[in-house]
Amino acid sequence: MAEAPARPADELDLQAANGSPARIGRPVLRYGGADRTTGAQRFVADLSFPGASQVALVTIPVGCAEIVGVDSSQARRVPGVLDVVTAAELPSPMPRFGPSHQDRPVLAAGGVNFHGEPVAAVVAETTDAAQAAARLMRVDFRELPGVYTLDAALAPGAHLVHDPSIRPGDPRAERNVLEDALYTWGDVAEAQAHTDVVVEHDYTFPMVTHFPIEPGGTVVVPTEQGGLDVYSPVQHPYLLQRTIASVIGLPLNQVRVFAPDPGGAFGGKQNPKLEPLMAFIALRMRRACRLVLSLEETFHAMRRAGCRIRARTGFTRDGELTFHEVHADYQIGAYADVAPRVMAKGSYVAAGPYRIPAVRIAARAVMTNTTPSTAFRGFGSPQVAWATESQLDAGARLLGLDGLEIRRRNLVARGEAFVRGASAARADGEWRESLEKAAELVGWGEPLAPNRGRGIAVGIKPGATSGLSQSLVRLLCDGSAIVYAGTSDMGQGARTLWQQIVAEELGTPIDRVSVISGDTGTVPFDLQTSASRSTVFMGSAVLEACRDVRRRVLELYAETTGVPAEELDEAPGALITPDGRLSLPEAAREALGTLRGEFIGQGTRRLRGKGDHPLGGDAAFYEFNATAIEVEVDRETGELLLTKHVSVSDVGTELNALQVVSQDEGAAIMGLGHSQMEQLLLDEHGRIRNLGALDYRIPTFNDVPLELVTAAVENHDGPGPYGSKGISEGALLCTAGALGAAVAQATGVVIRDLPLTPERVWAALRDAEARSRADAELRSAP
Amino acid sequence: MSAGGLHDLQTVALTVNGSERTVAVPAHRTLLDALRDEMGLTGSKTCCAEGECGACTVLLDGRAVNACLVLCAEADGHEVTTVEGLSERGLTDLQEEFLNAGAVQCGFCIPGQVVSAEYLLRGNPSPSEEQIREALSGNLCRCAGYQRIVRAVQATAARRRGDRG
Amino acid sequence: MTRYYRPSSTADALSALAAEGGGARALVGGTDLLVGLRHHTIEPTLVVDLKAIADLPEPIAVGDGGIRVGPTLTMGELAAHPVVRRRYPALVEAALTVGSVAIRNRASLVGNACNGSPAADTVPALLVHDASIAIASRAGERTVPLHDFFLGPRRTLCGPDELVTRIDLPRPPDGFGSAFRRLTRRRGVDLATVSVAAGVDRDGRVVLGLGAVGPRPLRTELDAPFDAADVPGLVRALDERLEIATPISDIRGSREYRHAMVRVLARRAILAAADRRTSGEMAA
Ligand code: FES
Ligand code: FES
Repeated sequence: MAEAPARPADELDLQAANGSPARIGRPVLRYGGADRTTGAQRFVADLSFPGASQVALVTIPVGCAEIVGVDSSQARRVPGVLDVVTAAELPSPMPRFGPSHQDRPVLAAGGVNFHGEPVAAVVAETTDAAQAAARLMRVDFRELPGVYTLDAALAPGAHLVHDPSIRPGDPRAERNVLEDALYTWGDVAEAQAHTDVVVEHDYTFPMVTHFPIEPGGTVVVPTEQGGLDVYSPVQHPYLLQRTIASVIGLPLNQVRVFAPDPGGAFGGKQNPKLEPLMAFIALRMRRACRLVLSLEETFHAMRRAGCRIRARTGFTRDGELTFHEVHADYQIGAYADVAPRVMAKGSYVAAGPYRIPAVRIAARAVMTNTTPSTAFRGFGSPQVAWATESQLDAGARLLGLDGLEIRRRNLVARGEAFVRGASAARADGEWRESLEKAAELVGWGEPLAPNRGRGIAVGIKPGATSGLSQSLVRLLCDGSAIVYAGTSDMGQGARTLWQQIVAEELGTPIDRVSVISGDTGTVPFDLQTSASRSTVFMGSAVLEACRDVRRRVLELYAETTGVPAEELDEAPGALITPDGRLSLPEAAREALGTLRGEFIGQGTRRLRGKGDHPLGGDAAFYEFNATAIEVEVDRETGELLLTKHVSVSDVGTELNALQVVSQDEGAAIMGLGHSQMEQLLLDEHGRIRNLGALDYRIPTFNDVPLELVTAAVENHDGPGPYGSKGISEGALLCTAGALGAAVAQATGVVIRDLPLTPERVWAALRDAEARSRADAELRSAP
Repeated sequence: MSAGGLHDLQTVALTVNGSERTVAVPAHRTLLDALRDEMGLTGSKTCCAEGECGACTVLLDGRAVNACLVLCAEADGHEVTTVEGLSERGLTDLQEEFLNAGAVQCGFCIPGQVVSAEYLLRGNPSPSEEQIREALSGNLCRCAGYQRIVRAVQATAARRRGDRG
Repeated sequence: MTRYYRPSSTADALSALAAEGGGARALVGGTDLLVGLRHHTIEPTLVVDLKAIADLPEPIAVGDGGIRVGPTLTMGELAAHPVVRRRYPALVEAALTVGSVAIRNRASLVGNACNGSPAADTVPALLVHDASIAIASRAGERTVPLHDFFLGPRRTLCGPDELVTRIDLPRPPDGFGSAFRRLTRRRGVDLATVSVAAGVDRDGRVVLGLGAVGPRPLRTELDAPFDAADVPGLVRALDERLEIATPISDIRGSREYRHAMVRVLARRAILAAADRRTSGEMAA
């Protein structure tokens, strides 16, 4: 574990803060943070592999094609080129993999299903040679009429993204619908009878890409024992281990995954993508093989599913929801990845956190010849929240209510079901508090300057529904401690939390707790780092491991000192003896005696799913967020200026205030990305037109709202340690809804397609003006 | 220049973080790749490789530049300071304030942010919030710690001015 | 494969360019060239770095008649120069929209103006300030008005074996105000969807420079003098005159949007420029 470089003297108070036992909830400095400011932190591209060969990928400039032939003769002549790997060099039939459907080929076999799908890989002594040779590869292909939009994919007779042969036994194999989901409760027809107003609209949510600042890469090193060491900045090292082992045919102990901390992942680095290909190449070359991705290549590797939603919603005169019908088509891309689950889990909460007697939600995961979509912060919820939140505002406008009031009237109270029926879900927090706090912080109801508007919205997202996290904690004889926890630290600061928990439970100063993660060879199993689950799952496992250590200290202390165990007790950081409290490290030292040694505690947190639950189990918790935005619209250009942005999350307990603020602000701004500017644009060949940083726009410093305020509601009611909940995603769930409502109030025009780019806002205003001019002419006509 | 091989190599002598370095690189090699691959200085990061993200920011003769948009050959006879050079004697006050403000999430953009912010503060010891945003708007952070970074720069400026509190 | 050459005299640079038969590229700031190299949209046989040439015009020379800008003046230096800030506010505003601080520390005014991009941010401002441009070849040097320099996208009067050695800006007449307005997809660093610079002189004569609304940057003038009391008249005049804009639809904006925006920005730039006539200072 790297230590921070020596600090100057004026740093002392900081040192003192970190040297004392932690108090949960205090802002504690980020573990490994110092290395991240000096450049010493090693990301995968920074690791040195002397003698490694370098790999470059070969692609073709269309989204859907049959490969007719690959000519590598020119490429092979480039000095330094070692090998060219095409489908012909890999096992036949081509091995396929995937977390739910085994549909993704290790390398394009026979055809290309999306723009950027690799057709071949060049291996060379240097990156220069590999890239030069890759440009000399001649791939003969016949372009096919690929499906690049939902409409094209769903049209009768549409080109099938997957040949039915790779979906054996699937009754839907003749269509581009991979999976669907249906959630219903109550009786919509009956509910219409006591409905006063109905709103029905279509909404779209764009395809967006993760754009991690670290593009990432993979290095695979064959071991002398015939196994593989795989270096990849993945969120789920154990899933990668299992995938590699199964495509190659190795036992798990022969595949060791090292997962350097991802430089941003947001869901995009969860599932295996190019690692199986790299494993085959390394085995073939019998030497270390290294692939470092470009930012453009990450655009081809990960994105969020775009979505089109039709919603029909009924209200009583008083603004109470009577029914809500949602039809959501998620545009998932060329391979399944986890997209079917994104669709199922996202649409499960498509009715929002509201009390609605009758609901019908039908969703589909539709394949297109586009980048496979995957997990992305929010996991399918932001798409449907955009529609549902906008529907609430549509109802409110008709009824003369405001956005806050209509939500007050419909938001569920703690314990009340917002999903009903067999797989009901109940509010696990005082969500109203977050709503009210957001309204108060944004100055809801205060007079507005001209061309300004405010919007408020709420969002929920189910946390993990099943999972397993295991952890080991070693309390060493000098009172320092080592935690083994598989959670990858991709910016959320997981390791700092484990330090805090150990410090709290074992009484070890926080700077004497180190954390080991990212190595399947030494660290016990953790299912995954996703769904904001780590705090709850791994946090509980670490807590349990600490308590296990305390019990063992007590037992050995009794044995060593002869004090009967019944007269001893343990408490956070302490052993209680008949003579008084002993700090736990002190008690451990005495117990261990001259032979020294150490205590090893083990902790496991397991949440078993429910077979009959559509999500595979009840969510361990719900993330809830309320966002309120004030915007100023330039009516002539369509430009938006966010004057105030408030995000309030229900966090249960803030384990580390500083990290909660960082995560909330980051999610809020990321939410502005898909709300205001981000979208992948395709041409008629399925190529990404805005491929790369020049034309794919993400928020910059200057796009941060003039005032950005985040706040937390703490009721200590989460299932995680000390009543905590996961918090990493909340602030982007409903950003779009709040912004859309604010723009509507400022301009009088409602826009239902994201992102709200200046041009889109301008066009909507222009169209509205044209309509009202036409109306006026009609009225004034004799 | 040596003939033959894939590329003609260019001998480049430059000063990096105070030390004289000589490297032989092909003409198209960027300063960023040379720092990372030839000199082992991996603190400067690669993301867009086209001047849009700022992850590769270094000081060239004291001025902040995108190392991905400089040819290594151009730096012949010039002086380069990387993030490693800024923190040779331990964490700087600026880096400490990044930590104190909670500005460091995944950390990938942070070296570039630190170099850009240091360059700003050297030229403008009391930047306004707007000036900080403008000065750093070429440094993307997808974790979006933007507001935290602004706070870190403000705190550093205050500390350097000797303000208390 | 690309080679790199750093000549010490203009003559050497010109010989090197000529020797490559069109395959060479001049390098100053490299902010465009390196992007092209990375994507292999440009594959020069030789990169000629102009930054060590001793006999090129100095970065900036201020005289009574105006300023002369050499090839190595960066956007950052330009925007910080007190005389430029006083006399050419539109140019300063434009230069400050080019990329980020780090880009402006490298990108040169001459490079930005000369690569022939229809969306180059500084060109509309240079047009409004009646810039002319000096082109050196082995046969000698010629000077042309900037608005004749652009032939089409990425095509200019500067041949492959020639160099732009200077941009000259005459001193604006007393009472001349200028301003620059630009529209982008986000508030942070971005490429222009549309850009407009305006100059208004003491008598109300209006000159406009337009970027990203045609195959090359445009310069135009209004027939009637500016009258602050008649904004509707100005809007009508612009509507008519800006028919010369022939924008296309691309990834940054549609034709219709650009059509509308060039009018909005032109009006705003003219009003700001007219305001500056009295103060002569840049707005904060
Ligand atoms: S890597 Fe240089 S600016 Fe992005
Ligand atoms: S800290 Fe992750 S990109 Fe900035």
